[in-house]
Order: sequence, then structure tokens, then C-alpha cells
Amino acid sequence: MKICVLIKQVPDKDSKIRINSDSKTIDSTNITNIINESDNYALEEALLLKEKHGGEVVVCTFGNESSNGIIKTALAKGADRGIFIINTKPHYIDILNVAKIITDNIKSEKFDIILSGLQSDDSGNCQLGLLIAEMLNTSHASLVMSTEMIDDSTIKVKQELESGWFQWTELNFPTSLTIQSGINTPRYAALRGIMMAKNKPVEKIELDISGYTPFLSLEKLYIPSKSKETQFINGAPEEIASTIVNILANEIKVL
Amino acid sequence: MNPEHSHNVPQLFYIFALISMFYMAYNLRRLFTIQIGKPDSRPFNFLSQLYNSLSFGVGQKKVYSKRFTYASIMHFLIGWGFIELVFATTVDFFTARGWFTDYLPGFDTPWFAFINDTGGIMLIAGCFMALIRRHYIKPNILPQNNFSGRGTFLGDSGILFFLIFLSIGGFLTEASRLAIENPITAHWSWVGYAISKTTSLSNWIYLKPYMWWGHAITSLIFISLIPMTKMFHVIAAIANITLTNRKKHGLIKSMNISEIMENPDSDIENISLGASNVKDFSWKQLLDSVSCTECARCSSVCPATRAGKPLSPMKIITDIRDKLYSETINNNKTDDLIGGFISETELWSCTTCGACMEECPVLIEHVPTIIDMRRHLVLSEGKPPTQAKESLEKTMQNGNPWGFSKEDRLKWTEQSDFKPPTLEEKNEVDILYWVGCAGSYDPRNQNIALSMLKILETADIDYAVLGKEETCTGDSARRLGEEYLFETLAKQNIETMSKYKFNKIVASCPHCMHTILNEYPDFGGNYEVVHHTELIEELISTGKLKTNINSDETITFHDPCYLGRHNKIYNEPRNILKKVTNIENIIEMKENKESSMCCGAGGGNMWHEINEGERVNVNRFNQAMETGATTVATACSFCTIMMDDAMKVTGNENTMKVQDIAEIVSDSIESSV
Ligand code: SF4
Ligand code: SF4
Repeated sequence: MKICVLIKQVPDKDSKIRINSDSKTIDSTNITNIINESDNYALEEALLLKEKHGGEVVVCTFGNESSNGIIKTALAKGADRGIFIINTKPHYIDILNVAKIITDNIKSEKFDIILSGLQSDDSGNCQLGLLIAEMLNTSHASLVMSTEMIDDSTIKVKQELESGWFQWTELNFPTSLTIQSGINTPRYAALRGIMMAKNKPVEKIELDISGYTPFLSLEKLYIPSKSKETQFINGAPEEIASTIVNILANEIKVL
Repeated sequence: MNPEHSHNVPQLFYIFALISMFYMAYNLRRLFTIQIGKPDSRPFNFLSQLYNSLSFGVGQKKVYSKRFTYASIMHFLIGWGFIELVFATTVDFFTARGWFTDYLPGFDTPWFAFINDTGGIMLIAGCFMALIRRHYIKPNILPQNNFSGRGTFLGDSGILFFLIFLSIGGFLTEASRLAIENPITAHWSWVGYAISKTTSLSNWIYLKPYMWWGHAITSLIFISLIPMTKMFHVIAAIANITLTNRKKHGLIKSMNISEIMENPDSDIENISLGASNVKDFSWKQLLDSVSCTECARCSSVCPATRAGKPLSPMKIITDIRDKLYSETINNNKTDDLIGGFISETELWSCTTCGACMEECPVLIEHVPTIIDMRRHLVLSEGKPPTQAKESLEKTMQNGNPWGFSKEDRLKWTEQSDFKPPTLEEKNEVDILYWVGCAGSYDPRNQNIALSMLKILETADIDYAVLGKEETCTGDSARRLGEEYLFETLAKQNIETMSKYKFNKIVASCPHCMHTILNEYPDFGGNYEVVHHTELIEELISTGKLKTNINSDETITFHDPCYLGRHNKIYNEPRNILKKVTNIENIIEMKENKESSMCCGAGGGNMWHEINEGERVNVNRFNQAMETGATTVATACSFCTIMMDDAMKVTGNENTMKVQDIAEIVSDSIESSV
């Protein structure tokens, strides 16, 4: 069984985010980079599947040079090798093109299972696993809460639906699953693993993005400013009602 | 003296003696099982080793503990009674052969006769006390009640009966000799003399050979059994004590991870990181386990054991011994050391408070041994306690276990009128104030750091902080077994500090202080480090800081383990309290100074909780409540958090205040200054 885990480097949510003067990129000084939360669960799920059923776990990331760190951590935790697609220019690339780039670089591997986190903590597209499934023509399931192998080429997954409902689905290989946080307890990277990771292969691919036509472009990055304001309306019921109507009609302009 | 001391010993006796000696030597092989341990490089200082063996070994200095009065008296009687009789036997060995008789006393020399009989009576009395304790008083911590495999009837009680039997036999032999020889000083042998009067001379003449042989045979059996019973500690414990390096007692040893990582020859797959089996300990750690007397003092004082957590330090030490014997002399297949003999939860329950090491009469070092096993769990297996995992990862990413941004390290000063200068700005100062992660990020501890700012500014100290350049000292990481992270942090801090000039470091948290002072030297960082209570005491006594007595709170001081037991700072905080409140308002808890009980947060327990048993902080807080004091004063970041928490869970917000000494002092600084 060949499992691919797609991981992404994101800024730690406790880091102070500053936007560069170009309004398109984040100032990376003083940022702590970590592995995206749900990707970490996806990695753990892959390692658990491998421990139980054997096979190979390959981690793949698409990102700038500094993403090297999360590949190393993933290898230290037990992944067997890495595919590192290096984005040499810090351009914004839309999710459709990210999916194409990753697909182009992993399709020859013929993975049985592709796991990815449900969504990234920074851009939050929630689409990668599904786009790749489309492009590689695999089965897919999102919001996966648990997995269970049925036989050598079938996996059963529990998916979260709305309002406390769940759904069990059986999928044939190859498949692409997006993993919900909390599905397992991600392991700690032991020193022994860190030492062993040094000898594990990482295939580095320097990406030429000229072949990909942008589908979306980034206009501006900004930190949301606090705009919520609570206004208390006092008075008799009729007064309150007419004030509200007034606000809705003239200030918010919805009436 | 005269040659008539010499008496004939039957040839047959020597044959028996040889057999008994041989058997004893054969059983002494358990002492040599420690050879399978790793080397332990240590300076061997003849004088200090000799001092150890005389004062802590033969002199039993640590056996006499105020926390164990009954057992101390008991051991005094047995120990000194026994030593006296060994002395008497040795003298007899020489005089019986007519050697040195001009210098040595004979059995009828009055003082010798007197102390021999007194020694015998002490031994009998002590053995009775021990039997009463073991079978009537039954402190529930004694091994036979708590753990199978520790304490056997022969080894524990049997040997006491044997000693009593031996002493009585000695007295009877003596009585028969006195009755027959009737020396003029006979009454100095006061017990034997009294016994000699109980029956007629003809009876004694008849009995004498039986008495002599009876006593001789019991003595020889006793000798041959020594290594298999509790008496083994006479040999093993003295060996252990003698070889102890008291300067480094209880300190955690560094592993030199970077060397292991950079060494291309390291066999990564099979290298042992930490200790998972007996072979991974040093010979000294194994000698520790071999020499444990199962006195259970460590477990009696252990805050985890007392709170009903699944840890007993005695069990840890004796489990290692069981495993050691089973791998060596018994050569049988047994469970794994960790997971089989010792559970992971046992290991994680230790707060590294050091109470066990403080009380252990044979100087066993429990904490470094526990940490070595934790290192195995974390470094080899990647299995820190689930809750603590996050704090370790956050420490690695953000340089503090709370996981706040590095950039916010000085945010706490926003609330203050005083803005501490940073070393980056000043380059050279007298005092580097080490705020610590708690002082920087924990709201409760920020107030302590703010109080320190007020004190430093008021006393006009030339100081600075590291600010954003400061990172966690690694205390918790190291104690959680994450030596790799600890080493990384230590090196980073040392490198940062090497850029600047300062005379000493003042730390608010005893854990930071201990780590920088006692553990950074292994990585080339040698600093003068004091705790804020030491600085404050000095400032008050030199008049640089003027304080008022303006509160009528009654205060009890909780000694933080890393300030007190680990660094012997007991008086400074108390001296400060005497300056800020009336002496009669200071009340001691029953367990204070070296007997202080842990707040429960040390050893990384700040970051995870063992659910079994009671909460250690609540237990300690209740001890403070028992004094009737209205304030519990502490001097440690973790203690403050733990006491504060216990105050809230027990609903005592209105009856008790939790304050750091720095806060109390800051409140009482003369306003005119
Ligand atoms: S250090 Fe403290 S908690 Fe740990 S075993 Fe010793 S007494 Fe118990
Ligand atoms: S470790 Fe020390 S204190 Fe504990 S039982 Fe053994 S000898 Fe006694």
C-alpha cells in the first residue's frame, strides 16, 4: 500500500503576523512555521495505517525553501520519504493550480491513498484533496473522522455530516481522503526518529510555474480590522421599532 | 596485658568458618552484577570518599532523621550494638591468637567488658523494636504490606530473630565462662555476670562447650547469610555511600546529544537513548539499586506516593534490582523493565521534588534514574505524556511552553510604569534579571515580575533583561526526558548571554535558577546565579531597600523544592519575611525546609496531570491552611500557580492569599523612597 500525505507549512497561530509593504506577502521574520493542523492528523493516520497494514508513507509538500522543516519533522515521525516541490518565487498561486502542480508531480507514483488535511489554517480553501481526486480520477471523501481497511483495495471511512449525523462510506483504491482534525493523537517526533530522518530520501523538485496559467490573482492581503460595534437602542417598544427601521433603511440600506 | 587472654579454638571451627566465608563470598556476587552497567566517569577524591564512608556509612548520619524518630532510635540501637560486637569479635580474633595482647583489651578488662555487654543489650533492644514495628505498628509503607517481591520473611524478620538469638547465645557463652573463670572484674560484664548467677557452677561446666559451639555455629550461619538478607546493606550500602559523588548528588547528567547526532558511527537504530533496561544505567545507578535497604523512607515522604499516585520511589529502585538479578545471577526471562516492572505512569508521576533523595539514608539518587527512563520514553519512543506533548512542541517552536509568541516576551511590561532596559540596548550591566517564561506570559506570575521591577528600580540596581532574546531554560523539557530540546535551549541561551557582560543573574523562578546555575556548566555556561529572595535579602540588609511593616497578615512560607532541597536556600525568604511582618505573624508548616512537601508542579508535572489519586497541590495547600495563616508565601513561579489553583478549587479565595515573597516586599516598600 502506497500512501501519500500532502502537508503544508503555515504560520503558527500565536505568531505575530505582519504584512509586507507589497500587501501581497507575509513578513516571514519572527514567524514560527508549523505543519498545518489537520495535515498533522492526516500524517498520523497514514502512519497508523502503515503500522497496521504495511506499506510506504510518502510526504509531499509544495512551498518555499523553508518548508523543508515540516518535511524533516514528518520523516522524523516515521514517513519513509519526501517529495518537496519548491516554489522558488513567493507568488500567490491559486488552489486549482496548486492541485495541478501537485498532481503533475505525484501522478507517476500511483499512490493507493492520498491523504490531506481538511483545510489549511492560512488560506482555508478546503479543495486540494478533492481537486486532486478529480484530476487523478480517484474516489474521494472529505471530512473523514475515522478509517478502516476492508481489504487490500477498499477502505471504509466515517464522514461527518451536519448536526451530529455521520456517514460510513466504502471507497476503492486509488482514493483521496481529506482528514478532519481530532481523528487521532499525532505522535511526538522522537530524537531517534530525527536522527533516522537524516538518511531518508527527499526528492527536491524546483518548480517552473510558467507553464501554469493563473486562474485567480491576489489583490491585497490585510489584517481584518475590528469593525463590529454594538449599538444599544433604548426607549419604548414603538420608539425602538422605528429606530431600527430607520437604521435598516438608511444606514445599512437593506430595506 | 598478659598472654592468658589467648584461648584455644578447635580446629573444626576453622573448617566451618571457611565454609561459611566461602558461602558468603559466593553470595556476594550480587554486588558484582553491577558490572553490566555503563561506565560512570567521576572524580575520585580519596578524602571525600573516606569522609562519606565514615560519616554517612559507618556513622549512619542520614539514618537519624527527625521525620523518623522511632526508626532512628531503633537503628541506632541495632547499628551501634552491632558495630560494637563486630569490634569485640575482631579484638577477640587477635587476642585469641595471643597477638597484640599488650595493646588490646581482654574480655575481663572492665571498660571492654562493660561496652560489650551494653552493645549486646542495645542490639537485642533494637531488634525487638524492629520486630514490634514490622509486626505490630506496621507502618503501611513497609515493603511486606505494599509490594510483593520486596521484603521476605527470612530477609526482614528472620534476620532479626537471628540477631536476637545470636546476642543471647553470646551472653550465655559469656556467662558460662564467667562462672567458671570467675575473674575479679566479672561484674563489669553486667549482663553475663547476672546470668552466671542463675545456676550452679557444675551446670555451667557441663553447658559451656554447648554454649560455645552453639554460639560459634549461629555466628557462622549468620555470616554466610548476610548477602541474602537485609544485613546485606552493611556491605552494599557502605560501598554505595563511599562511592557517591556528593557534590553532584541528585543532579541530572547530560547526554551530549549533539555529539551522538554528529557522530557518523552512531548506530541509530540500536543506540540506547536513555535507559530502557538495566544495562543502560551506569554501574553506580545499579549499585544504588543493589544497596537499597527497603527502609521505605523515600516512599513515606514522596508527595506522589502520599497522594495515592501510582509511584513509589522505593519500588522503582528495587524493581531495577529485581530486573538486574533476574538478568544476571538468576538468568531467567522476565518482563521488560519499563512497561513490565515499571509502568509509564509511575515514571510520569514523579515531580522531581527530591524528598526521596533528602531522606534516603544510603544516598540513593532516585531522580536521575527516573529521568533516564523518561529519556528512553521520549527520545527513543516519542512517548511523552499526552498533555505534556503540546508544551514540548510549543517550547520547541516558540521558546516557551505556553506557546505564546516570542515577540510578546516583554508584553507584561506594558502594564508597568517601569520599562526594563534590555541587554541589547545596554550591553553591559551589573545584574541580568531572568524573568522566565512564567514571569513573561502567565498573568499570575507577571505580577511577580512587575514587583521585581519595582524592587530593582527602587533599589537603583544597574540591571537589564534579555527580553525577546530570552528563551525557556529547558527545566521542564529536561525533566520530561526531552534532553534534545533541553540541550538546544541551553546552548541557545548560553550563546545569547555570551554576547553581553553582566556580573550575575537574578532569577525569579527557582527552576530557571537551578538549571542555569547547576546544569548550564555542562555546556560551558558558568554564571553566578541567585534567586530573587537572595538579592532582596541583601538589598534589605544593606539598607538599599527600605521596607515597612504594614500588614497584619499571618504568613506561612512554602519552601519550593528547587529553592530549598535542591539549592539549600531556606533562610533568605524567612529573613525577608521577618523584615516585612512581625515575627509572631510567621507560622511554620509542620513540613518545612528540607522536609517541605512539593506543590506538585515540578518535573514537568506543570504540563500534564496524573489523574489517579489526590491532587498534590491541594494536599500541600491544606497543610498551609492547617497553620491558620492568612497568607501562604512562596518564591517560585510554579508553586504560585499551584497554590493559587488549590486555593480556588478548595474555595478559599476569601480565607487565604497566595503571594510571592517579591510581591509581599513590593507592597511594603516605603512609599517615601
Ligand atoms: S522526587 Fe519527589 S515525587 Fe519523585 S520519587 Fe522522589 S519524592 Fe517522589
Ligand atoms: S531508596 Fe533509600 S530511602 Fe528508599 S527504601 Fe531504599 S534505602 Fe530506603
